[in-house]
Amino acid sequence: MTDQEQPKTELESSTPLEQPGSTVTQVRTYKAKGRIAGMSIAVLAIWAALYIVASAIPALPVPGMAGMITLNAIMTAISGMILGPAAAIANAAGGIVSMILFPYGFSAGPLGFLTVTMGGLVAGLFMANKWVPAAIAEILIIGSWFVNPQSWQTGMWMVPLPYSAIALLVIVIKPVRDWVRNAIITQNKKTMWLAVFVMCMIGHAAEFLTTNTMVNWMFNLTWQYWVPTLPYWIMVDTVVILASTIVGVGVLVGLKKARLPLFPTTLEK
Amino acid sequence: MFSVSLKSRNSPLQKLDGRTKLIFLAVIFILVLLFTDLLYITALLALVLAAWFIAKLPTQPLKEMLQFFVWIAVIILVVQVFFYPGTTNLVHISKPVPAIGFSGYLTLEGILFGLAMVLRLVVIMIVAPLMVMTTPLPELMLALVKLKIPYKFAFIMTTALSLLPSIQNRSAIIQQAQLCRGISYDSGGKFITKLKASVSLLIPLILGAFRDSQTLEVAMNSRAFGAPIKRTFLLESRFTPVDILVIAGTFTLLTVGVMLRIRGFGVY
Amino acid sequence: MPEPVVIQCREVSFLYPNGVQAIHNISLSIYRGDYIAFVGQNGSGKTTLVKHFNGLLKPSTGSVTVFGEETRDKKVSYLSRKVGYVFQNPDDMLFSSNVADEIAYGPRMLKVDPELVEAKVESILQELDLKNLRDTHPFALSLGDRQRLAVACALSLDPEVFVFDEPTTGQDFFGSQSIMGLIDELHQKGKTVIIITHDMPIVAEHAQRVIVMNKGEIALEGSPQEVFSQVEKLQSLSLKAPQVTLLARALGESSRTILHIPEMVDWLQARFPVTIKSGEELPHV
Repeated sequence: MTDQEQPKTELESSTPLEQPGSTVTQVRTYKAKGRIAGMSIAVLAIWAALYIVASAIPALPVPGMAGMITLNAIMTAISGMILGPAAAIANAAGGIVSMILFPYGFSAGPLGFLTVTMGGLVAGLFMANKWVPAAIAEILIIGSWFVNPQSWQTGMWMVPLPYSAIALLVIVIKPVRDWVRNAIITQNKKTMWLAVFVMCMIGHAAEFLTTNTMVNWMFNLTWQYWVPTLPYWIMVDTVVILASTIVGVGVLVGLKKARLPLFPTTLEK
Repeated sequence: MFSVSLKSRNSPLQKLDGRTKLIFLAVIFILVLLFTDLLYITALLALVLAAWFIAKLPTQPLKEMLQFFVWIAVIILVVQVFFYPGTTNLVHISKPVPAIGFSGYLTLEGILFGLAMVLRLVVIMIVAPLMVMTTPLPELMLALVKLKIPYKFAFIMTTALSLLPSIQNRSAIIQQAQLCRGISYDSGGKFITKLKASVSLLIPLILGAFRDSQTLEVAMNSRAFGAPIKRTFLLESRFTPVDILVIAGTFTLLTVGVMLRIRGFGVY
Repeated sequence: MPEPVVIQCREVSFLYPNGVQAIHNISLSIYRGDYIAFVGQNGSGKTTLVKHFNGLLKPSTGSVTVFGEETRDKKVSYLSRKVGYVFQNPDDMLFSSNVADEIAYGPRMLKVDPELVEAKVESILQELDLKNLRDTHPFALSLGDRQRLAVACALSLDPEVFVFDEPTTGQDFFGSQSIMGLIDELHQKGKTVIIITHDMPIVAEHAQRVIVMNKGEIALEGSPQEVFSQVEKLQSLSLKAPQVTLLARALGESSRTILHIPEMVDWLQARFPVTIKSGEELPHV
């Protein structure tokens, strides 16, 4: 959104409504509520549709997890950066529908959409510079892992370390936080890649730790499963974050060049 | 790869209201997570399978889904069978290995618990498709709205659904265009190739869709999206006596389940 | 001596997975240096047929050979070096961060020697007049330039045959002129050109061979003169010859088919001999 003439959150318009059989013309004024958290509903609906399509495209088969990693993992990781906090809504909508249509993409059962909602929420709040709610959400995610008594078994405290704990640090430490946000908002050619990587890490970490917590509650997987497979999961997650970084940078730069509305550019002013 | 879609048109389940089925789904999900006893979970599975057959659904998707989840099922089973702290020793395997928490025996409890977890997975994975295969998506969306999901959220879901064919089509065209530029999606799962293919698909797909979003926004505004009026729906849904019966049954089931659980039944 | 055949279709039929038969028993030879236009209503099977030429679709029955090789067991990435395909919407092809990288992408994917890629990119930038834009982001280009870039991407794989899917759709007059000029140039350099279009004046002006498709079959085939002379037959296929052609017929020209304005002017001047000096208004005939 580049100019002030564009409708922001409110659009005033008056609609004359003819009452049948009367000569009185009633004029109603309403505010079009076509936005959620600053993002247009049209954009969110399109994101949800993209999300569903991406859920149908397998990216990595994942032994040891129901389902597989589809391209929607990349969509979740970059959603917050592009849509802001409204990403949570768009991801949830896309998640619910794609879960219904292609159930193999979700390992957390009927509540699987919550994982992608969290991914969009934490990264989106961070991008909107609402670091306190972002930190609270991240702490809740990490905390919910430890609510399950099972997570106190040997070595299971290591699971949230990569990358949720790192994400929490990035959210809380002001200089790091500002650096990441600035690099993305200004699209600094040199530092943008690292910043987008960090952003994608925040988004993806929130998603997968929520998934892990839910899977753990449902299927009672013990440390004998988690600890040996941890290196493997770190590798998988790193790959997803790297892929998301490449896509994320491409999309951010493209949106800016094509002068399309996106969250970081609305922050520029 | 499979996707679930409407498969059953004339069955008692199809005639139920979308809300009834959503409530059923939620209750089954809660109950299956409440219990860990194989007997109770088997009973729930039997209930879901009975619904599957009452709905006259084909068994093919069931098989496909089970094949798909066979890996996680095996892992769950192995982890529980070997590491569940059971007391009734059945088979002696080796000396105890305390470092990995293995007692040296396969226990009765471990096996029962492992099977229970696997069946829990099966119930969780087939209960949602059961609903989808008997309910047309617009009805499902209507049910969500009627259950007081915010209208904006429902709007995002329904709009996404209606945009789906065009975006799917576009995604197919982009994949073809990238093939013409020398990408081969089929080159034997080479990791870097897959990565490049995803990048070259997602970037034009997302950017192209965002370009279209402005048109959609204009269309929405010109049709008075957000006008403060009470919404009516083209499709109407009403509870029939059968719905009320099923909902009553479902809630009874939930109450009984919760009571049993509170009294300590159904768990190890 | 006729030119060698580059693409040969033998009794090609294609069924989409949903059971729709898009093309039906088509046999067709395309010769080197051809300039072919495929026309027909939406859904007549034009795009389905041309997507067989580089293996994007494989025939359900029958065979397609490209430079003597069956497409059935060849990858698209391999066939793209022989038959380049430019999609209707350039945005479906572009995703790199600058023009030069975008052009180099294909050859890099096919593991061409980096130095050769560099040289290739330079020569294409020069050829398509994109040199000043080499570091520009593809999304910052105008539609016309994006389309040139899409052509450049196809060109980078050095194909002999080019397929253009509706190259002028959505373009204004000058945009169409510019892209058609580029296509003509490729043809003059000896490339075989295949275009799909709904724009009859473009067909009349540029193509040397016209193939009219209807319901998955070839309904008419021949030079533009031959095809556009069959006004009634075209009408039955919901197509219309160019307006000049119809006008000439209405004015009583029946010995030949007039295809474009310059021809029309010549004919008018021969028929109604008036000398027009420049700047003078046309006398009322």
